[in-house]
Amino acid sequence: MKIWTTIVWGAVYTLLASCGGSESSDTTEEMITRDNTQEVLDYYAAKPDFFTFKTIADLPDNLSWQNGSELPDIGSPDAIKGGVQYSSLQDFPRTMRLVGPDSNGSFRPYLQDYITMQLAHRHPDKFNFYPGLAESWAVDKDSKTVYVRLNPAARWSDGEPVTTDDFTFMFFFMQSSYIVAPWYNNWFGTQYTNITKFDDHTFSVSIPEAKPDMDYMVLQMLPVPEHFYKALGEDFVDRYQWKFQPTTGAYVVKDEDVKKGTAIALTRQEDWWAKDQKFWRNRYNVDRIQFNVIRDIPKVFEAFKRGDIDQLGLNLAEYWYDKLPNDDPDVANGYIYKSVFYNQRPRPTYSLAINTAKPILDNKDIRVGINYATNWQLVIDKFFRGDYERMKTSSDGYGDFSHPTLTSRPFDIELAQTHFAAAGFKERGPDGILVNEAGERLSFTLSTGYQSLKDIPTILKQEALKAGLEFRIEMLDGTAGWKKVQEKQHDIHFAALNVSLELYPRFWESYHSDNAYDVPYLADGSVNPDRKIKVQTNNLESMAVPEMDAMIDAYRASDNRAEMMKLAHDMTQLHHDHASFIPAFYQPFYRLGHWRWIRYPEGFNHKHSSSAGHFFVHWIDQSVKEETLAARKSGESFGPEINVYDQFK
Amino acid sequence: MLKLNPQTLKKFRRFREIKRGYYSFLILAGLLLTVSIGELLVNNRALVVSYEDSWYFPIYTEFHPGTDFGLDYHYETNYRELQAAFSKQESDNFVIMPLVPYSPYENHAPTGIYKPEPPDLALKHYLGTDTTSRDILARLFYGTRIALLFSIAFMVWVYLIGITIGCAMGYFGGMFDLVFQRLIEIWSNVPFLYMVIIVFSVIPSTFSIPIRIAVLLTVMVLFSWTGMTYYMRTETYKEKARDYTAAAKIIGASHTRIIFHHILPNVISTLVTFMPFTIVAAISSITALDFLGFGLPPPTPSLGELLKQGTANLRTAPWIVTSAFVTLVLLLTLVTFIGEAVRESFDPKKFTVYK
Repeated sequence: MKIWTTIVWGAVYTLLASCGGSESSDTTEEMITRDNTQEVLDYYAAKPDFFTFKTIADLPDNLSWQNGSELPDIGSPDAIKGGVQYSSLQDFPRTMRLVGPDSNGSFRPYLQDYITMQLAHRHPDKFNFYPGLAESWAVDKDSKTVYVRLNPAARWSDGEPVTTDDFTFMFFFMQSSYIVAPWYNNWFGTQYTNITKFDDHTFSVSIPEAKPDMDYMVLQMLPVPEHFYKALGEDFVDRYQWKFQPTTGAYVVKDEDVKKGTAIALTRQEDWWAKDQKFWRNRYNVDRIQFNVIRDIPKVFEAFKRGDIDQLGLNLAEYWYDKLPNDDPDVANGYIYKSVFYNQRPRPTYSLAINTAKPILDNKDIRVGINYATNWQLVIDKFFRGDYERMKTSSDGYGDFSHPTLTSRPFDIELAQTHFAAAGFKERGPDGILVNEAGERLSFTLSTGYQSLKDIPTILKQEALKAGLEFRIEMLDGTAGWKKVQEKQHDIHFAALNVSLELYPRFWESYHSDNAYDVPYLADGSVNPDRKIKVQTNNLESMAVPEMDAMIDAYRASDNRAEMMKLAHDMTQLHHDHASFIPAFYQPFYRLGHWRWIRYPEGFNHKHSSSAGHFFVHWIDQSVKEETLAARKSGESFGPEINVYDQFK
Repeated sequence: MLKLNPQTLKKFRRFREIKRGYYSFLILAGLLLTVSIGELLVNNRALVVSYEDSWYFPIYTEFHPGTDFGLDYHYETNYRELQAAFSKQESDNFVIMPLVPYSPYENHAPTGIYKPEPPDLALKHYLGTDTTSRDILARLFYGTRIALLFSIAFMVWVYLIGITIGCAMGYFGGMFDLVFQRLIEIWSNVPFLYMVIIVFSVIPSTFSIPIRIAVLLTVMVLFSWTGMTYYMRTETYKEKARDYTAAAKIIGASHTRIIFHHILPNVISTLVTFMPFTIVAAISSITALDFLGFGLPPPTPSLGELLKQGTANLRTAPWIVTSAFVTLVLLLTLVTFIGEAVRESFDPKKFTVYK
């Protein structure tokens, strides 16, 4: 499953922290062998309500099975298999594990999110489910249960068949403390109530509430290979640090391709079990994807211009307009294509998160004032050159579930000053910064880990000065920035949380008091004076409002679409009034430059794609590559190809 | 009145005779003087505002909100706009702006887009603007000032600590010398740049920028003073063994007197020759740290930050890297020339010919 909490690593360009150099081969390999078969069976036996074992005869026969076969195929039948794609990474992945410490990094999409198969996937155009590992499935609203028939052909990359046991084991795995992943423990411990095995390829999963998207709750599940984790134990983090978990997807990482600190490669399985399946057959076309670590963004760009890298995201205006202008010889001659694709999906929440646990920032007037003193429109107009849009709320892009009328607060010096004055900051000091009667200056740290967006805080700082507010800028590297905000040490932090394609937004993770403090309230409902901040959660604003908690609990418990929608709107409104979140911008498109030999289907990509590579619908045409390189040498021109795909705008 | 001994006067004369070093010294001194009154030359605050028969000199005073000059906003007056507005009015009000009417922090984008713009005399962006449309000359100017002041402070501290400890080691010798030397050997093996990066990355950002610069200075000094002690120690050992020191001892001079009146004046020439090179090293390291992003906190103007921007925009905005690079080269060359001249003039063997 996709963990929606991944931080967005600053669009395509971000610097991550430098990581350790290469290590000698697996020195942590120990000789102790372990077999947890009995432990797992004992665990199942200890929780008979959760793990149920029945026979195929017990399967209800009045179910209406679906298989998504009516949906259109994905990708292009013109796709050619083969070729090597060269790409770059800004940081070498810190682990090959898919869960546990450091696993939530920017390479994980290539190990899991974009690669491995769920039971079924949201169709990138139609939103309904098309089959992955499941052959068919049936939803029973009354019993809050989803029944699944696995595709008997499904295989792990090491040849083992995918069976029901891999799903029951998944619950054991995700609920165990060995994996050091509290979020997963919580999610798989509270969001599911039962798994029933009928036979090796048939099972059902029940959830506590019949949510409007209950099929998604089950169908997004990823199996965990039981045979691979026989030695699961306290040493999980070390033992599996550099082991590639067998995948159900098209690409594997071979041991010899892991050059720690420098390079890593994905290799296409020739005999991948789904290679001829509908929805999968025209994707994952490239034989090998080579990732080389290049830490410096300008160097990545130079490598791309040399043709050492096949395609590069050009989301930043600076790159799109100035560094690779349309009159660049490579573009003008059609060797490099420039493509803009307008997509539709929930947007990453680029914003300033105000830590309400900090003194002065716990005053709502101050927060509202900061909202008004933050000139995002200027950033959008002058830094992004008007290409981006202002984000309205923390949950934009969820259709009916997004608030219909609410907008973010505009830059307004007068209103900002009014609110600051209401909080006691009335006079300007000798440097023009507001001070209160106690002599405190209206000054906060504005931190960020987005190296590629490092100019933005300096612009905001200059504008905020006009309202008498000072931002002290703290520029961190990606990992340090994320760590700071996870430890809740920030005043105001500029970051974004990634979101996956879902029907409705989530609130519990970011706005529930459970994720702000250890014991937020006393038994009588008053604020606990000794409460301690809870770290390592995504409640970056330390938001703890009893009404919000009540609504979130109702929202999580609700199975009524209309009620949930109403709650979502009310919560968005309350969050807006709380003013701890300053919506920044969103990018209604993605754009990139790609060499001519990287081909995309007609229409370029699918409606809900998050980036050009998301669904792996591109392919490499070797003959075009030779032709292009020859033409580049002789100076022959193909004519520019600068395409805007706005069919989903 | 300071009375210089004839030896020293002779050295000064020789320094003046070495033209390259002497002129470099004059230029650098002039530069120091210029940057110390920098606010009068490069600033977005006006030198003089005459408004409704009142005179304002906003540069070194508190900020003036726009309302002071009949404008409708409470934030800092935009004096360039005020100047334009006054010149349109038929009144006696006027504004005199500095030569470069920009501050190193403000984003001034005449095209409405934040991007590097080439030098433009009409807009008074004499060296162009950087990636967020800040004036490069202003940033260069203040960046140079910070680098110079920083390196002078650095030198003073390194010398104070280095001389004290080195001198003590040489003078007292024995166990003290032995133990301290071992400590210094260990200390000097700690990689300097990494330590600076590590220490500076954990400084909380709640500190104000001057304090953070002071912390950076302290850390750099802490890891740089050891080099000086070796020279001091050997020199002191040498002077201590001389007859005049023995004589002073016999007539009952105290340690303090011997060190400050007899030994230090005699070893000072060795030290003086190192000074300019210490400054060169300080400017280089602060620039390198800024380039790596571990130096002065943003948005402090700095040479390293400009160099970094410049290398990142080599194709599209070559003027950024050019100005930063030329400034750095000039600065380091000047200091090095001075250093060479000082060394030569303090060299007693004037006519030695190396073969």
